[in-house]
Amino acid sequence: MSFLNRLKRALTGEGEPGEKKPKETAKTEEPQVKTEPEKPPVEEKEPETSAEEQVTVEVETIPEEEIPEEKEESTEEKTPATDEPLAPVTSESETTEETEPESPEEKPEKSSEEELSEEIDEPAEEPEEAVEEPKKERSESMTLLNADENKITRADIDPRFKEEVMEAGAESVAICFQCGTCTGACPSGRRTPYRIRQLVRRAVMGLKNDVISDDSIWMCTTCYECQERCPRGIKIVDVVKIVRNYAAQAGYMAPAHKAVGSFVLKTGHGVPINDVTMELRKRVGLDELPPTTHTFPEALEEVQTIIKASGFDKLIGYNWEKGELE
Amino acid sequence: MAEQEFAYFLGCIMNNRYPGIEKATRIMFDKLGVGLKDMEGASCCPAPGVFGSFDRLTWASIAARNITIAEDQGNDIMTECNGCFGSLYETNHLLHEDPEMKDKVNKVLAEAGREFKGEIQVRHFAEILYNDVGLDKLAEAVTKPLNLNVAVHYGCHFLKPSDAIGIDDPIKPTILDELVEITGAKSVDYKDKMMCCGAGGGLRSRDNDVTADFTREKLTNMRDAGVDAIINVCPFCHLQFDVGQVETNNKFGTDFEIPVFHLAQLYGMAMGVSVDDLTVDAHQVCVDSALEKCEENLSTLDEITGGE
Repeated sequence: MSFLNRLKRALTGEGEPGEKKPKETAKTEEPQVKTEPEKPPVEEKEPETSAEEQVTVEVETIPEEEIPEEKEESTEEKTPATDEPLAPVTSESETTEETEPESPEEKPEKSSEEELSEEIDEPAEEPEEAVEEPKKERSESMTLLNADENKITRADIDPRFKEEVMEAGAESVAICFQCGTCTGACPSGRRTPYRIRQLVRRAVMGLKNDVISDDSIWMCTTCYECQERCPRGIKIVDVVKIVRNYAAQAGYMAPAHKAVGSFVLKTGHGVPINDVTMELRKRVGLDELPPTTHTFPEALEEVQTIIKASGFDKLIGYNWEKGELE
Repeated sequence: MAEQEFAYFLGCIMNNRYPGIEKATRIMFDKLGVGLKDMEGASCCPAPGVFGSFDRLTWASIAARNITIAEDQGNDIMTECNGCFGSLYETNHLLHEDPEMKDKVNKVLAEAGREFKGEIQVRHFAEILYNDVGLDKLAEAVTKPLNLNVAVHYGCHFLKPSDAIGIDDPIKPTILDELVEITGAKSVDYKDKMMCCGAGGGLRSRDNDVTADFTREKLTNMRDAGVDAIINVCPFCHLQFDVGQVETNNKFGTDFEIPVFHLAQLYGMAMGVSVDDLTVDAHQVCVDSALEKCEENLSTLDEITGGE
């Protein structure tokens, strides 16, 4: 119930119950808010995206409380200030912490809100706990990582990773604004832990090891439903494939996938012919072997030369002498 | 019809598992007066979601090598597999758009004495039927109308990514439904028709349980619509609905038994190719129910004329 109410308040733009809340949220948020504007090394080149980034990080933990409050209570006053078109949201969230306590309009509203919340949520004595507990739950469910020791820190960020993904052919990823349409369209996300929006987000943040070690990146069937619906036209499937390339390089390649690779290496076909099919082919008057690398050994040699030149044999750990995977 | 010839790209699953699709295609194109020239020494496309996921350069280089075989012929490529279409079309497109990648690929290809020039187009079987042969000519070639209710499965890499391919609307396409209905079969709408079969992207080989769960959902929706058969334009989807249907039954205790036909096999049936040549007897899921229904309809065709 309390969640529903909070959501309702957020949607209607009403403020949150309890004076303490804005303060608390400001506290919990401080590390993020501080570090990002002070030293924005991840996104030096794009002020726009870094603005988005700050917002999304914040939004994940406290979206309902702050932003709507801002809009309702102080937009009229601040609209002149938020004229800069590039980072309107950031300016709002920045002003939140400074202006909220001072805002004269808040006081009367808060008291009425408090009453409301007391009736609906929890007894009046424990507004702090009532506020804190669901927030913890929420922040847990909103992040990929549950245990505290798994919290993302600056040390986890590889500042080059985003550039690498972009250079590999998915430049468009920089303009993702995390709307989640992709995840909504994803048939794999309906049945596995795979969340394509998060994958894109983590890739853009530069959480390279976090992304490439995640098994769920292999749950994508490359069906393109996400990409077809992306309102920013991001080549999402390319992002997935590029991230998987890095995963493969780092050794996260499933044995079954190496095996498929070795079939092509050995025969030129990912699905080589078998005896049953050779019989069938003969029966219907086709050559027993198709006119492919199966029939032309010199063609297979060309394929193997290409595989050696690109280093794919090493990638899957193929031992040419033994004629098998290591 | 003007002399037209395509470089016929076989791929893997069609020729190495379902040769009836290849046979039906050769007979059909002969009847339609469209030439098919074998691409001698072609290999795996290689699979877009699999090789593309491992190493982009290897993927593009092997695909580009296949394209150079058609360039030597001076023919556009025809493939009747969505996966092959995806890899070959995408690579062709990529190397046109990205000169840097083209240089990289050509460096690799040079080791094998080949060079990608970018002189030909990559085409999909169904799109050639629709745009080059045309529905009228196809209708003329139908000698045995099929009164089947079928679930059309588009698959993923036939129409998508649509901004690069542009064959039809990727969300609500009609091209395959129109092609199917020329044979007399009726394309029945079903829930989440455009959903993936679940096999792509390396998922089938790596996590078959997840793949089977996709397939179960598709099969459930198809059965709810009361179809007699599934029609696809991709041997990998074909394999997933055929072999994967049995796997799904084993995994989930379901009892699906929906016959599966590639569009080439459906056209083969409608154009009088013998059932033997279609190798449908080698399918894992028995197709007799659909074949019998076709026979029934033939014998009673006069009585039901105008019935609808």
